[in-house]
Amino acid sequence: MQRKNITAFDVKGGERLNDSASIVKSTKTLHALTSAALVLPGLLLPSVPATAKDRINFQYSRYQEGERNLFGAPNTLKPITADVLHGSGLFSLTDRAKFSFGYTQDTWSGATPVTITPLATTGGNRPYTDGGIVVGASPILNSSVLLDRDLNPIGRDPLTKELTGTVDTRSVLVMTSASPETRRQANFGLSYEWNEAALNVSGGFSRERDYKSSFGSIGGRMDFNQKLTTVKFGGGYTSSDIGAILDHDSSPYITKTAYLPQIVRRDNSEILRGERQDWIVNAGVAQVLTKNALLDANVGYTHSSGFLENPYKAMSVIFIDPQDLNNRQLTSIPGDVRALLEQRPNIRNQVAFNTKYIQYISPLNAALHVGYRLSVDDWGVNAHTFDASWVQPLGNGWTLTPRIRYYSQDAASFFRPYLFSQQKFIRQEVDNLGRQIWIDQDNPSRQYFGSNQFDLVDQNGSPVDGFSVRVAQKLTSFDAAKLPDNFSSDHRLAGFGALSGGVILSKMLGKGVALETGFEYYTRASSMQIGGGNNSFADFDYYVANAAIKFDMEPAASLPMGGSKTSFESHAHASSHHYHKTPPAGIMFGHMLDKPGDFMAGYRFMYNWTGGNMMQGANRVDDQTIIDQGCQGEPCRFVPTFMDMRMHMIDLMYAPNRWLNVMLMPTFMDMDMNLRRLPNAPPAAPGVHEHTGVAGHETGAIGDTYFSSLIKLIDIPGHRVHVNLGLSAPTGEVDIKLRRIAKNDGGLIHFGMQLGSGTWDFMPSLTYAGEKNRWSWGAQFSGIKRLEEKNKSGYRLGDVIQTTTWGGYDVLPWLTALVRGAYTWQGAIHRDFDSFNARIGPMDFPSNYGGEFWDIGVGVNAIVPKGRFAGNRFGFEWIEPVRNDFNGFQLNRQGALSATWSYHF
Amino acid sequence: MILKSFSIGSSRFIVVCALLIAIIGLIGCVNVAPWERGNLAKPQMELDPHPLQSEIQSHNYSSREAAPSHKSSSGGGGCGCY
Repeated sequence: MQRKNITAFDVKGGERLNDSASIVKSTKTLHALTSAALVLPGLLLPSVPATAKDRINFQYSRYQEGERNLFGAPNTLKPITADVLHGSGLFSLTDRAKFSFGYTQDTWSGATPVTITPLATTGGNRPYTDGGIVVGASPILNSSVLLDRDLNPIGRDPLTKELTGTVDTRSVLVMTSASPETRRQANFGLSYEWNEAALNVSGGFSRERDYKSSFGSIGGRMDFNQKLTTVKFGGGYTSSDIGAILDHDSSPYITKTAYLPQIVRRDNSEILRGERQDWIVNAGVAQVLTKNALLDANVGYTHSSGFLENPYKAMSVIFIDPQDLNNRQLTSIPGDVRALLEQRPNIRNQVAFNTKYIQYISPLNAALHVGYRLSVDDWGVNAHTFDASWVQPLGNGWTLTPRIRYYSQDAASFFRPYLFSQQKFIRQEVDNLGRQIWIDQDNPSRQYFGSNQFDLVDQNGSPVDGFSVRVAQKLTSFDAAKLPDNFSSDHRLAGFGALSGGVILSKMLGKGVALETGFEYYTRASSMQIGGGNNSFADFDYYVANAAIKFDMEPAASLPMGGSKTSFESHAHASSHHYHKTPPAGIMFGHMLDKPGDFMAGYRFMYNWTGGNMMQGANRVDDQTIIDQGCQGEPCRFVPTFMDMRMHMIDLMYAPNRWLNVMLMPTFMDMDMNLRRLPNAPPAAPGVHEHTGVAGHETGAIGDTYFSSLIKLIDIPGHRVHVNLGLSAPTGEVDIKLRRIAKNDGGLIHFGMQLGSGTWDFMPSLTYAGEKNRWSWGAQFSGIKRLEEKNKSGYRLGDVIQTTTWGGYDVLPWLTALVRGAYTWQGAIHRDFDSFNARIGPMDFPSNYGGEFWDIGVGVNAIVPKGRFAGNRFGFEWIEPVRNDFNGFQLNRQGALSATWSYHF
Repeated sequence: MILKSFSIGSSRFIVVCALLIAIIGLIGCVNVAPWERGNLAKPQMELDPHPLQSEIQSHNYSSREAAPSHKSSSGGGGCGCY
């Protein structure tokens, strides 16, 4: 792309070049033209990135769904949100070979539909009250409904559930909520480029608690017709393992008979197992039509097999007693509403045809992209997608891209909001003479027959004294063969239309750094389906906002989109810098940029591991002591078994002058922990969150954001001192809640699982660094002072003081080995949550935070001295706790890993 | 054999194939010299000018719609079971 951009410049800026008559520039122009001619068709294939320049991207995105329409039922559940962190990179291994990687993690939580029922049932979203006031709704999956003789539901008030007497055919989503869950995906790719062809292979995996998949693909392209035509082909395979932990709250109310062989029990949880395979092949052609237009067309075929269900979606089946139907005296018929796990076909074949036309709009230097996509499948879901975008370079490196999209799909052939079945859900068995069967409860092998328990006969026809035997009805479940083979009420398989629009704004900052932000609003409505639809109960909308930063690793060649405002001035390349040695990777704000105008971008990963024994002070503590003393007078019921915290930080540092650096560090946090029930702990008090099952807790989203100014105090050969005045802005959430379970609110999740401090914090530090020949050394004093009395959840984290000192030795000119010692003091949490928290274990009590910690760190710092990746710095450090003295009762610290990458522009 | 089961019918597919053949037929007629390709080389003329954005969009669409994912050959994306 780099060379391609240069061509764009030459074509537009030709006159300016002639005027300047610079030999250097002319030579470069010639070179650029020639190389552009060689690589041009590469641009037709974003899937083969071999002509792209080396680059690193970071992106954060937030998905926020709107509230669903519950037709008058209280809707207090938070709609679904998802926080997504993405990092990716592309590196040249040789002139023709490239390596790419990507990492994505998303954490989602919020309200999700579990089934659809008629609005007129006694269940659905059933209101619950607190002190006589309706404060929310519980999902009630099994309920009853009254139907007229045409099986139309007779309405009920959504709040009181009283019959209204009039037919109400509306359906409603039954909503449940979910505690946060995290998915992680990594993928890797290799590509190789020939003059008129390219080949790429890639693979990766995606991991979440209930769904693990691995995938691989191979693709390539060939150029023909003087590179005006490119033929592309690809194929891929995905293998997925499903281990859905069925919701312990709703599972008892969901009928799972069809899946019993696939359900295993572990630690009080039911796990539904399944496997799934997806095969994909596609082929396409990209064709230059004129010097201002090109066309791209693809056909793709997907074959999926195995467990294709959504394991958390149930179908509401209304069971009707045939006797009631046949009884003409009845003016209304009772229906027994039951939730059955959905059943989809085990095979799906999809074909998609995709085409895109791109036209250059010369007077505006813009491009119009118009696309159409048709997909058909053997489930009956035929979908049309139309989209258009306008890519408008605005000058000075800005590009604005408005975009619009329309989508319409037909419902799957087996989609129904709910089903009727003319049989009883559970009925008493009858023998072949039509007599009802009873069982002797004292001797289950003995059966009796008759219409009631005082008029029974035994197998031989002899009368039985109904008072002398204990009998019970012999019950049998519904006949599954009378239900359709496949059924689903997942609103994704309904017919609907969707309209979305958005805008992308990008800015090339120069020095190889580009910012990009996107916003999209999406609205789905059944009425927007081509031909119209009638499923308006599933209408919803969402928006997505994202921000990305992109670093080009060859800054000298970076040109803004549009190519009209650039120069060939080469920026001083990274390899020309003299580098000071950097402190160990775990030290923040530990070095400064030297030259005014210098810019540094970096990424910092920190992993913090706690696990092992529970500790009191400096010593291991037994379970009984925790039960008795760990929860401030209340008995403790749970302790954590482990907790992992991962922190991703983007370092952006700029030197406006010789003595000042400014720094911005957005962070992304994610955590997971699991709990262990203390043996002999007392049962939960009524109305208190009870942690059950194998699943732990996860949280993840944006953490706090750091700003800081670094001021150079002393800079003499071999010795440097600087002070850092930092602020931490409370951008991380501190009011994350656990979901409501079994009529009990989960309440705020443990202090340590919240994603930020919630307060503005002052973070000063003073750093000294020295170096001589191959040796380097230094020390840092740092602290965190909370600037507010409490955060919005009512508490305040303790202040922190740390002192550390290190020494390093250059094992090789580019590799430094480091060792350091650190002492940290952290105060306990002040105040407490001001709203409900379940207080189930030591981690829910403010006094069980903080302490004094003595650590040893070992690490290496490396800098790539020359070649393609010259100037890239890497650092790794492992922190090993030597002595811990905890406040109160805490899980032991096991260590911490820091890894850093940085690059000077 | 798969195509028979598509409710939209094979006539639509024939149209699609005819379009493809027409596109291939066009190839012979086109001639754009390398020095005329300046506009085509501009970033805004790339097939996907904003790959980070289209990745997010297609991930959201595929978790909310039943059509196959836009990035259908790359795999991944997880359950999207919410």
